Amino acid sequence: MTVRHALLGILSQRPGHGYELHEAFEALAGGRALWDVKPAQVYTTLARLVDAGLVKRTASPGDGGPARHVHEITDAGRAEFVAWLGEGVHAEHHRDEFFLKLVLALTTGAADPVGLIKTQRTTLYRDLHELTARRAELVRSGDLAHELLLDKAIMHTEADLRWLEMAEARLGDMVECPLSASPPKRRGRPPGREEHEAPAGEAAGNNKGASSIKESDPCRS
Amino acid sequence: MPIVETKGLTRVYGEGSNAVTALDAVDLAVEPGEFVAVMGPSGCGKSTLLNLIGGLDAPTSGSVVIDGRDIAHMSEAEVTALRRRRIGFVFQFFNLIPVLDAAENVALPLVLDGVKAAEAKATAIEWLARVGLQDLAGRKPDELSGGQQQRVAIARALVTDPALILADEPTGNLDSRSSDDIARLLKEVSVTWGRAILMVTHDPRIAAHADRIVFMRDGRVVDDTRIAGAQEARDAMEKVGLL
Repeated sequence: MTVRHALLGILSQRPGHGYELHEAFEALAGGRALWDVKPAQVYTTLARLVDAGLVKRTASPGDGGPARHVHEITDAGRAEFVAWLGEGVHAEHHRDEFFLKLVLALTTGAADPVGLIKTQRTTLYRDLHELTARRAELVRSGDLAHELLLDKAIMHTEADLRWLEMAEARLGDMVECPLSASPPKRRGRPPGREEHEAPAGEAAGNNKGASSIKESDPCRS
Repeated sequence: MPIVETKGLTRVYGEGSNAVTALDAVDLAVEPGEFVAVMGPSGCGKSTLLNLIGGLDAPTSGSVVIDGRDIAHMSEAEVTALRRRRIGFVFQFFNLIPVLDAAENVALPLVLDGVKAAEAKATAIEWLARVGLQDLAGRKPDELSGGQQQRVAIARALVTDPALILADEPTGNLDSRSSDDIARLLKEVSVTWGRAILMVTHDPRIAAHADRIVFMRDGRVVDDTRIAGAQEARDAMEKVGLL
């Protein structure tokens, strides 16, 4: 949804052709190296915005060539853009591809988890190397907004590296119980809501029970 | 030929049941112009490795070969000369002499090596200019910021034209902005001036400026990985005449 709303934000400043809007999005997001959005995605998104009545498209005569289309934001589009600005943004760091790889390597034995961690660490350090080099260029050119964007990327990469260190230190424990918290396989109709979610009081009781499990059990610590 | 190479480098402190192996059979080679970061938890042997390569400590077994010569086979005077001319040191706490100004601090290794004072000072001022401190040559360390003091220390490390710079937590006593500046300067030292750098750090952001990272744990190298782009490495090697 982000590209859609960013395009509305760009159009709220001035109307534009598809090509111009693609360029403007790239400039806003920090260049192709940071966020590579294909022109086709911009054109498709613009078509959807037109269908939704958030953008109006009119043909402008070209210089003998094919007609180009100018996009202009509508009142509804402006309202949608302002509403989007006011919403909080979830980070969703828990949706993690490397985590899935690590756990699946442990459960299937298809790859060495230590090797996976090494590869991932190298990947993250290469990212960090590029990000710090790119940031230095932005400092020289005085582009404070994108310098801040790269600071964010650098901080998250540093956090990922710290997490990797923690995962590596606890790899031995994970080998013993890689998916201990996975739910049992169910068959048939999905259970009803009341069966699925325990009431607050019961959950507290379960926690008490959990605390009695001896601390040396790596699967419960 | 690597500028420095360790083979089976081992350092054990204490004896018998009290023996602690700080470094355990480390093989490591650093090429001219290469910027290598050494990372790992406290007590993993990073600083021991640097001290052994710098000739500040002697190995229990194994060897340190610098410029193709094993330092174990050198006399103490030869090791001292090697340390003074071929290796530059950068420390966490700068180690500048408080009563000397920036130019005198930078000139000191040359003066100790017998270079005339006026000539040493002129060379020192050239190096201060290269690290961006040409206007502060007359300042004493306490009149400089932490980042500026570390720049003086880097100029001092470079003044004897060494092939290898050993840096032990060079940004450990600096704020994050000065740390970034110092890391960029070290990068420039390797890229522009073709010096090899072996830098111990615990900070991933500082390590990320390097071409290569060596990870240590319990006295051993557990991973050794190149993080800079291949082109960047080629440029650095071309600069020092390896390609």
